[in-house]
Amino acid sequence: MAEIALGLKLFADFGVNCVVIGGVAAGARGSSQATFDVDICYARDQANLTRLVQALRSVNATLRGAPTNLPFILDEETIAHGLNFTFDTNIGKIDILGEVQGVGWYSDCFLHSDDIEIFGNQFRVLSLEKLIAAKRFAGRTKDLLVLPELEALLEHERASELEYSEINAKDS
Amino acid sequence: MDKVIYTEREMALIDPKPGTAAAAARDFGIDLSLTVTNLRLTPEQRIKQLDEFQASIKELRKAVISSKRHGRDRTGSEAVR
Repeated sequence: MAEIALGLKLFADFGVNCVVIGGVAAGARGSSQATFDVDICYARDQANLTRLVQALRSVNATLRGAPTNLPFILDEETIAHGLNFTFDTNIGKIDILGEVQGVGWYSDCFLHSDDIEIFGNQFRVLSLEKLIAAKRFAGRTKDLLVLPELEALLEHERASELEYSEINAKDS
Repeated sequence: MDKVIYTEREMALIDPKPGTAAAAARDFGIDLSLTVTNLRLTPEQRIKQLDEFQASIKELRKAVISSKRHGRDRTGSEAVR
């Protein structure tokens, strides 16, 4: 198991309510672009923050890209006062988002996600439509570069669904 | 290796009609035959593939760093001589 598998397993082991977003979600949806971190949108209720903090502590999470002398205490209060965090951990890079701009909070992401079984656990994975919305909103070069493929995938998905519903209509 | 036979739906990605999102992606430089290969996998298999790719890149980086270090060591000992 490498970093992506370990990152996903971590959240499953600690029962963190989250939706898989970013490059891993795009990969699950068929994108051929590489990714090197695990991005999730997490639920911000107290119980989930506790599970999230326990999970992150278990892999010695530290802020990524922050000055080493920046005081940071990884606890529920810090996460509740903040929103989106990027971490280095023993098992790789993990980004946790309280809000995905262009999509919304955990409940919005949940609504626009499907259950996918990965490594023996069920994960909610953000839809192509909302991945595109998030990438378009972020608008950074790295986001814009993956947009054409995601849009082609969405077009393919819609055409396949239409074909499937037409076959079903003929059969019934 | 056997020649890959694509379905009509897959061909719409590989050889797209003008004006489609797939045509825009192809024109942007995306190799959609890789995307089609991914679509033939289950989501779990796709994630496993990403995971394995990431692990390979990590190993490759380690090997590059190690070879650079050895290169420097050699230069160092030659300089002493």
